[in-house]
Amino acid sequence: MAELLSPDLRGCTYFFLYDGSKVKEEGDATREGICYFYPEETPMDKQELLCGQLAGVARCVSELSSSSVRVLRLRRNKYAIRRKDDFLWALGSSVDVPTISVCELLDQLIDLFCFYNGSVRQSYQRNSREVLAMRWAQYLSHLQAGSSELHHIFSCLKTIDATNVDPLLLLKAALILQACQRCPLVLVGCILFRGRVVSTQMSPNLTMKVMVHESETYNKAHKPNGPSTSSSSGGTVSSITVFLTMSELQYLQSTPVDKGFKFHSTPHKDTIPKKTRLSRTLSDTPSTDSEPSDAGSTHSSQKVSFSPCLSASDNVFSPDPSENTTDLLHPPMQSQCPLSNGKSSHDAEEDESFYHSFHTNGGGMSQIGDSSGLEENSHLNGACGTVFDFRAAECGNEESHDHKVGEDSRRGSGGSAHGCSGATNSHNESPLVPMTLYLHRVKGLVLVLLVEPHFLSDTASMEEVYHSSLAALNGLEAHLRTIIPGPPGVQVPYVFAHFDCTQSTMTSNLSGRPGATHERPFVRATSLLHSHFCNTETLQEAIIRSAGAAVYGTRSVAQETYFLQHGGSLRNSGIPNHQDSAFTLPTKARHRLLKHGVNLL
Amino acid sequence: MTTKTSLLKVILLGDGGVGKSSIMNRYVTNKFDAHLFHTIGVEFLNKDLEVDGHQVTLQIWDTAGQERFRSLRTPFYRGSDCCLLTFSVDDNQSFLNLGNWKKEFIYYADVKEPEKFPFVVLGNKVDVTERQVSTEEAQQWCQENGDYPYYETSAKDATNVAVAFEEAVRRVLAMDERTDHLIPTDTVKLHRKPRSAATCCS
Repeated sequence: MAELLSPDLRGCTYFFLYDGSKVKEEGDATREGICYFYPEETPMDKQELLCGQLAGVARCVSELSSSSVRVLRLRRNKYAIRRKDDFLWALGSSVDVPTISVCELLDQLIDLFCFYNGSVRQSYQRNSREVLAMRWAQYLSHLQAGSSELHHIFSCLKTIDATNVDPLLLLKAALILQACQRCPLVLVGCILFRGRVVSTQMSPNLTMKVMVHESETYNKAHKPNGPSTSSSSGGTVSSITVFLTMSELQYLQSTPVDKGFKFHSTPHKDTIPKKTRLSRTLSDTPSTDSEPSDAGSTHSSQKVSFSPCLSASDNVFSPDPSENTTDLLHPPMQSQCPLSNGKSSHDAEEDESFYHSFHTNGGGMSQIGDSSGLEENSHLNGACGTVFDFRAAECGNEESHDHKVGEDSRRGSGGSAHGCSGATNSHNESPLVPMTLYLHRVKGLVLVLLVEPHFLSDTASMEEVYHSSLAALNGLEAHLRTIIPGPPGVQVPYVFAHFDCTQSTMTSNLSGRPGATHERPFVRATSLLHSHFCNTETLQEAIIRSAGAAVYGTRSVAQETYFLQHGGSLRNSGIPNHQDSAFTLPTKARHRLLKHGVNLL
Repeated sequence: MTTKTSLLKVILLGDGGVGKSSIMNRYVTNKFDAHLFHTIGVEFLNKDLEVDGHQVTLQIWDTAGQERFRSLRTPFYRGSDCCLLTFSVDDNQSFLNLGNWKKEFIYYADVKEPEKFPFVVLGNKVDVTERQVSTEEAQQWCQENGDYPYYETSAKDATNVAVAFEEAVRRVLAMDERTDHLIPTDTVKLHRKPRSAATCCS
């Protein structure tokens, strides 16, 4: 019964990838175009029906409106739709799931695939559908697994529960990552413990991607991409090829933290003895430029730059006044641009428009205006593609731009041997640059580093990174493993969820257990409010109530907070009057949440 | 006898900056990095070696010397087989603090017979020319406090580092022979800290 009343908000009911190029003629069977369909046991005629209908409608609508379709609604499901070249993806979910969450799930899924496999077209040229079906299934199950419904609603990262973790350990993790960056071939890193983020230098987007491989090796499910195990450093080190979009790469190159750190740590270890050390002492650290990833830290300028993606993607549906009732005609005009920003958001060019939007809350339209200029028809191309071409022109020939990009990414150190030829030669596809993911596991703890591909052949660098981090990783693992979950018992008369849009993390005092049915109303209310916030750019506070409870939601560009007070009086019915306990919620939330580190003042 | 590999836990204690991490790194990876940052909490490395026909895996625990890290490091003292009290010969205060380190260790490691526990004292940084602690002073302290072996080391130029660790191993093995057992790695240490509230996962 409970399931009927409140459907699972995390789930994807259908997902498929349809290749329109396989179905051109009247006689071509729809099934020829179905690259992958989930659930896989769906009867073929039903698969064909759904694919045919959605593909047809999507095409029809986009041709009529000369823009692409983002969301379609069919019966009790809503489908996020993405098209790229001849490919069409659709991810269906219950209509109760916020549209933004469905769209983000689909974007994440596609991003994941491209991250581990490169371009979709080439993947399907090189591999059989069966092999790639396993991967889609794997990414899908990863994205849906484990975390709470709230995590799915906000599409946020799973982080360790920091309430019982000494902040010094988070600092330790951040320092390990920085130490690894002393090797110029190491771009950025992140540290995960039991499938949760301890510290990351990557954008939330990128962090989300690298976590798949980690949890997969952690769960020992299978190794789809054939990660090679390095023999030199023991069986705990492995690596895998991944593909970055140009914008991701540019973001890595442009991160001021990264550069600043390297500037005074890499050059000459022997000749600059003092500064490096000073910057790493505890007392100095918070003020230096070199703390990218302490999970508890406030927003540094570096982190601010993530935010555009989120705030921009919040806009995705804002032009649409009635998300719940419109079926097919989802906002055509702007619908694509936020995707480009939302997903691959780290172009340098974007920063300005973002800062603009960041500081002018409620300027939804201007934001959209800003970003729509960047895009044409591929959510990964756009601005980054332009820059790419610019580089090419600068270099004078087609081949050297790869070289240059790689070189830049390592800040001019050493020669760049890798090429992107495999991934970049098609002009229809967004350029993807192969990089390497280096993983060093110590029991439940994993150090994930994004490194230049030739890092693996550079034995000296590998050994240096390995040895400089091993002791600290051992120690960190020992610390984290022995953390005793604090006293859970303190029963507080309220529930809250706090979503940090910048870091894409969530804090909550919900148990998140599947069986906790009494938490469902709060989750559903939160989901609804989140949806409203996404749809209405200028909305900042809202209260949603039933006869027995009221949930207060408030948001800024950087955060969203939801609060439910238990045991209120039963005045929450009928027309609100001044005694209505709902109206005391904002004050209560402000006071109560301060001790959780949530500042609503 | 030699087929069994014992896991020996040795722990480095001493003031911040005396070179505990450097000693460990020198011994295990034979590298010296002048720009290590302060250790936060604890770290450890394993090293296999053979001492007098015994195969041992030495698990060397490096700790944070600063007072502010005390609560992070002390839980890891338990189960240590040997304690290396470290000071820097160019820092008299670090030498004077040896007694405090010993006390802290005995308290948190819950050592049953402190007078029998194998301590080894290391005076590091002997490569530095301006010494504040003489060899005689250090030896005298060792003698008065329980006849601990004393080694003057330099992690920077690798002086005496391996010798000191081997001596630590010998001390532990000698203790074990007296109590007539070796602890094989596959046994469970019953006296380790119990995991409290392990059943409660919320």
